[in-house]
Amino acid sequence: MSSSLGAYEGIVGPAVLRQLRQLGEKLAGTRVVHVNSTREGGGVAEILEWMTPIMRELGLNASWEVIDGNARFFEITKAIHNGLQGASVAIPVKGWKTWEDVNARNFRRLRPILEEADIVFIHDPQPAHLLSLCTRRKGKWIWRAHIDISHPFHPVWKSLRPVVEGFDASIFSMAEFAQPLRHPQFLVPPSIDPLSEKNRDLDPAEVEAVRAEYGLDPSRPLLVQISRYDRFKDPVGVVAAYRMVRKVAPVQLVLAGGGATDDPEGKAVLEDVLEAADKDPDIHVLLLPPDSHKTVNALQRLATIILQKSTKEGFGLTVTEGMWKGKPVIGGDVGGIRLQVVNHHTGFLVNTPEGAAHRIRYLLHHRDSIDRMGTTARDFVRENFLLTRHIREYLTLMLVTLRNTQGNVVEV
Amino acid sequence: MTPFEVKDCALLARMSGLPPALNLRELRERIAVCGENVLFHHFCETTLRGTFDNPDYRNDFAVWSKLYLGDRVLAERLGILDPYDFPSLAELRAATLEVLDERLSEQAMIPWARPGDEFFFREATTVVFSAGIRISHPSGFAAAIRNMTVGSVYYHFLEARRRHPFGKDDFTAWLLENENGGKNRPYIDALASIDFYFHTLADLQKELVKVLSDLEETK
Repeated sequence: MSSSLGAYEGIVGPAVLRQLRQLGEKLAGTRVVHVNSTREGGGVAEILEWMTPIMRELGLNASWEVIDGNARFFEITKAIHNGLQGASVAIPVKGWKTWEDVNARNFRRLRPILEEADIVFIHDPQPAHLLSLCTRRKGKWIWRAHIDISHPFHPVWKSLRPVVEGFDASIFSMAEFAQPLRHPQFLVPPSIDPLSEKNRDLDPAEVEAVRAEYGLDPSRPLLVQISRYDRFKDPVGVVAAYRMVRKVAPVQLVLAGGGATDDPEGKAVLEDVLEAADKDPDIHVLLLPPDSHKTVNALQRLATIILQKSTKEGFGLTVTEGMWKGKPVIGGDVGGIRLQVVNHHTGFLVNTPEGAAHRIRYLLHHRDSIDRMGTTARDFVRENFLLTRHIREYLTLMLVTLRNTQGNVVEV
Repeated sequence: MTPFEVKDCALLARMSGLPPALNLRELRERIAVCGENVLFHHFCETTLRGTFDNPDYRNDFAVWSKLYLGDRVLAERLGILDPYDFPSLAELRAATLEVLDERLSEQAMIPWARPGDEFFFREATTVVFSAGIRISHPSGFAAAIRNMTVGSVYYHFLEARRRHPFGKDDFTAWLLENENGGKNRPYIDALASIDFYFHTLADLQKELVKVLSDLEETK
């Protein structure tokens, strides 16, 4: 359940909300459609869950549509996703055909709303083929890439690029994630919702209930990595780092992640993690249902240090969430984690399990740094990475795109 | 006296279309040919962009030189360039190139960033709109600025210097236009006392409120 805009005033101040309402007035009645491939699980669904109602509250006629797909479709789109992030994957011609067919089946259902929309945001590659099918579209179509496609596996990008270039514009989270394209490429980092179940303040009793539920020892440091079971998140590397620290410090580790309906690889990765954990009672491998937001929130608040040791990452919203809880983050030196984690300032960037172990040990020996970095991290998130900034950039993008303005300064 | 109409602005960044620079020579080549909007973005609009860091320098070229080329000498020389000191972006570009050429001539080896740490050239569109606030007397500036967004502060105090009358912030321009037998002079002097370029927008907002509030208290 998302909050109304007024509920954010205590966090961001009235001027920020006034700014959004002024922008919203300029777009009143604009028909906006977001399309992605999952209603729950993963960062995209979480963003759309708050963004759509807030757009409506600001006067836009916004909706969120989810395409349906079978298991084969999601295997193919997961391969496309991995290929865009650089993995060498084989997608046969009939795999692309499955992708097109599923998009075509969904198009039959979504056709009226897509044809009439003033602006359509297609999130990630799964529904991207809808553009080619919607030949009678009236509005502008924007492709929103939530992942890092700076070094895609060439055969995958070769197939997808013509599709992407058909859009009126694209959005990337960071300049470092973009590909040269023939249309405008806007840069909009994602954000978190500070009032969502995953990020809102919790009563101490709620936090302690989660500690008790998972048998976590309050007297010992806790390392927490929250992410789906995906090889690029390197959960096995996190277990390796934990083992290096465990020799000298009595730490506990929580690896917690949900499965997303568009991620069929998760089961295999989870099995690898369980094997690496080898029934160590201080390693808690949790497979959480998609609605476990409060549990995730509590685990992040219970953490002494948040880990996000990815080897490939989009923006890395779990890092932002951890920072919002006032925790230092030890993150992989990749993707958006590099933007968020500044060495000795908000945490540490690492490249190996050894590097992660070294920095965990450093922080455990410098407890004052944990508090200082955590406070700094929370302040930066408040100023720059809450949903109010994110929605402002989307509204700005819509104004610029719909008015087809070319100038550097546009008065509306 | 015509009321001062407060405006707000929102920045939308995009890729410039220039290839990224991986070393100092490529940085020089790209800056020599980039659009003025690109130059303006990396010198002036960075302050409106979200960040997780408080960099030592206020322009992206200096920050990149320090963090990714590891060239602190170059970072210091670029970091002190104040874009609002230059009558035009062409002159700012010339001064920047002069610094880069000087540094290139001093180096036996061209400094490189590692792959992944390239300099990405961006630009932005600034959308300007009414904030729905009017100020009718100079004594109302402090309270109004306290309640503005940083977007308004940027638009009226920094971006304004690009517009007519060139080099003047909007508050000062309004005070000059509505000169009241010299009564606005203390406000104009107070605003002129701020070393604005090296502040973050949040700090600049605080500084503006402070100097204008101090002025009201001394009355």
